[in-house]
Amino acid sequence: MEVMEGVPPVINLTEVARTEKEEFEKKVSELIIEFGAENLLACMQCGACASICPLARVGFEWYNKKLIKAILIGMKEELLDDSTPWACVACNRCTEICPRQVSPFEVMFAMRRLMVEELAISTLAIEGDRSLYEHGHAVYMTGREARKKVGLPEKPPTTDSDEKALQELRTILKNTKLAELGLIPME
Amino acid sequence: MSDKDIRIGVYICHCGENIAGAVNINEVAEFAKNLPDVAVVRDYLFMCSDPGQEIIKEDIRKGLVNRVVVAACTPRTHEPIFRRACEDAGLNKYYFEMANIRDQCSWAHWHEKEKATEKAKQLIAAAVAKARLLEPLEDRYVELNKNVMVVGGGIAGIFAALDLANAGFKVYMVEKNPSIGGNMAKLDKTFPTNDCSACILTPLMVEVANHPNVELITYAEVESVDGSVGNFKVKVRKKQTYVDWEKCTGCGACINACPPKARVPDEFNEGLSLRGAIYIQFPQAVPKKAVIDPDACIRCSGRWFGEEPRRTKDGKPILAPCEKACPTGACSRDEPRDPNGELIELNVGSIIVATGYKVMDKKQFKEFSDSPNVITALQMERLITATGPTEGKLIVPSDIPKYLEWKKKVEKGKEAELEARKPKVITFVSCVGSRDNRYHTYCSRVCCMYMLKQAMLLKEKYPELDIYMFFIDVRTPGKDFDEYYMRCRNLGIKIFKGKVGGVQKLPDERLLVKGYDADLGKPVELISDIVVLATAIEPNTDLKDLARKLGINVGAEGFLRERHTKLYPVDTMTEGIFIAGCAQGPKDIPDSVAQAKAAASSAASLLAPGKMKVEPLISEVNPEKCTGCGICVELCPYGAIEMVEYNGKRKSKINETLCKGCGVCAAACPSKAITLHGFTYEQVVAQIRTIAKKGVIEEV
Repeated sequence: MEVMEGVPPVINLTEVARTEKEEFEKKVSELIIEFGAENLLACMQCGACASICPLARVGFEWYNKKLIKAILIGMKEELLDDSTPWACVACNRCTEICPRQVSPFEVMFAMRRLMVEELAISTLAIEGDRSLYEHGHAVYMTGREARKKVGLPEKPPTTDSDEKALQELRTILKNTKLAELGLIPME
Repeated sequence: MSDKDIRIGVYICHCGENIAGAVNINEVAEFAKNLPDVAVVRDYLFMCSDPGQEIIKEDIRKGLVNRVVVAACTPRTHEPIFRRACEDAGLNKYYFEMANIRDQCSWAHWHEKEKATEKAKQLIAAAVAKARLLEPLEDRYVELNKNVMVVGGGIAGIFAALDLANAGFKVYMVEKNPSIGGNMAKLDKTFPTNDCSACILTPLMVEVANHPNVELITYAEVESVDGSVGNFKVKVRKKQTYVDWEKCTGCGACINACPPKARVPDEFNEGLSLRGAIYIQFPQAVPKKAVIDPDACIRCSGRWFGEEPRRTKDGKPILAPCEKACPTGACSRDEPRDPNGELIELNVGSIIVATGYKVMDKKQFKEFSDSPNVITALQMERLITATGPTEGKLIVPSDIPKYLEWKKKVEKGKEAELEARKPKVITFVSCVGSRDNRYHTYCSRVCCMYMLKQAMLLKEKYPELDIYMFFIDVRTPGKDFDEYYMRCRNLGIKIFKGKVGGVQKLPDERLLVKGYDADLGKPVELISDIVVLATAIEPNTDLKDLARKLGINVGAEGFLRERHTKLYPVDTMTEGIFIAGCAQGPKDIPDSVAQAKAAASSAASLLAPGKMKVEPLISEVNPEKCTGCGICVELCPYGAIEMVEYNGKRKSKINETLCKGCGVCAAACPSKAITLHGFTYEQVVAQIRTIAKKGVIEEV
């Protein structure tokens, strides 16, 4: 995991604040609020969201609670390099459990939007987009050999095997911001 | 031994599981049935409950019993309850005895049930042995003086005094400073509503000072207290003011005249500025009178009070600058003044102690450096308030001298540029000296909230400020308190879970703060212009001394101890003396006011009837037996015993109003001439013998 890379052993809050003021047009917390996490400031770091977050459970470093804290103190560069938000499975258990109605899931997704805005997109996300464009599945389909072995068609009966549906999906994607970004080849 | 008809009822309480969980009630009851003179033995789940008391009353009414022994909890809380039950049923209430088989038995021996049962038997047997020897006693009454002394003129003292004065009681308010107002007068605004402290306090100061039933005695301290509830005799020392308060109008002319050489740290500004030797405590002081600090006065005219003035060549007297400046002659040095001030005597029926607190000095905390820009939170109050040394202008404390210089120039009409640095970053540190085994183990209770308040006031006024707050954890247990905390978070104040372990002074007077963020699990550091330490609230230095004079207790942490944490929170172990505010323990203004009003109402309900029932459990001298040795006179802690003439001989006599029934005299009397009623020699010996014989009552 590429987590915590670039975060020094001691966090220099003066430097964090200076960067936020002098190098960014807007405070990170303001951007995250604009990108949908309206209740960000209500977080009191109780940790309920982290207790049930699948990302925290499998060892991602910048899971919901920590991501929020880092945003609240104005960290940005360190977060842009990280892939955690793209691993969020949007289970929304954090949204249900949060006593402050912060909706940590919204913070995760706002972070994704911020990353896209800053063109700081992890390979994890690019692979997902590419797979979506090519097969209609964000999570790449494996096991084609196994399907053949048990007598199933190589492709599942989804968009992946439906040329018409796939073309429709590609048309939609070509008309989204994703095409403007040019992250993945779209012929 | 007695031919009287004695029928003892023994009532054993289960106290839910508290007693029954360790003591075999049935076995104890069977045992009690066989004790001499025991007519009835009963047990019940809660003897003190209404049905429980009814069991006892019923037996008395039916004539089954005429002595009552209750084996239950502590007589400290429950003896009065059972005595009343006996009285209600028509039995003299001193025909009652209690055996403590809970605190001293079941609780103490919870895991040794057999031994606990055995001990319960012995305790009950001892109580029965005593009950056989009980005598009927009659309550007595003492007249009560209806005046009250309130010690301390802070917000708690003010409210206690006002409530009592409004109820018609005469109140003497004794305050050690020249002005009333206390610590609250130093505060800028107050949580959780952010109303201005002076705006809500100063009208009350005026109200209490002008109240026809209140006599203010400021710049004074309690010297000694004699007597007891209803009749305290208090000596109060009024310190020497060196200014004639009859003449002083509080105009302040003397203050401006006092030369710059005579300067000491200003207590009211928590040392952030200096004051002269002659000073008025603060501009809104009540009473607004000047005093001279004799240690600070440099005696610039070469003349002290009562001394002949030096004269100029043409014979004119050389007056001190303050003396010269005073338009009313209040500062005149013509008359000598006693440095010990004046001793006055007060007779009061009740005393309320509301002497407040002090905050810990930052000097003890070397880890936070000796920089002037590391300040206590009370200093921060002075720095942000309009009545403070900078009139509320926010500058770094190390530049306050520059500010004062600049102000002096501007006041003299000179053009001057203020070169004081404005802070860009302010850091708050919680629990400095609180929750710390090296200093105070307790939580000071108000720090989290006032830190949040200061941060909020600063951030609202100066949004560009970066504010960092370090807490072990944020404690907001009060009405509207957590909402207040959330308001701070929403302002973008950065809050960290973790304490600051070190502050280093940088060459430019800025500060390197080393903290920890438990949320990210990493040490953090930052450069700050000001560091505010939430230093612990602690008892005033002289509180122990005052408590000793009053005969009341202080706890291990040094605050005054209440009689019972839950049930008697403003009472003390000395009847007639009540406590309120931070002298009892750290608390905020609403809690201090609530306690003050509780103490006032307790004092009022005590004194309003004009007389008070007193237990007859006091000592009496049998003059026929007394040899007049006088040992008891010296030993009595209440000064209740004196030697008198009796049939031409010197005998001791006990003043029954002053006697508190402690029994010291009875225990010490070599000729057994003193009887402590309710605890006679025979009764106590019978109890001891019974215990010594493992529960067998001997006929004497």
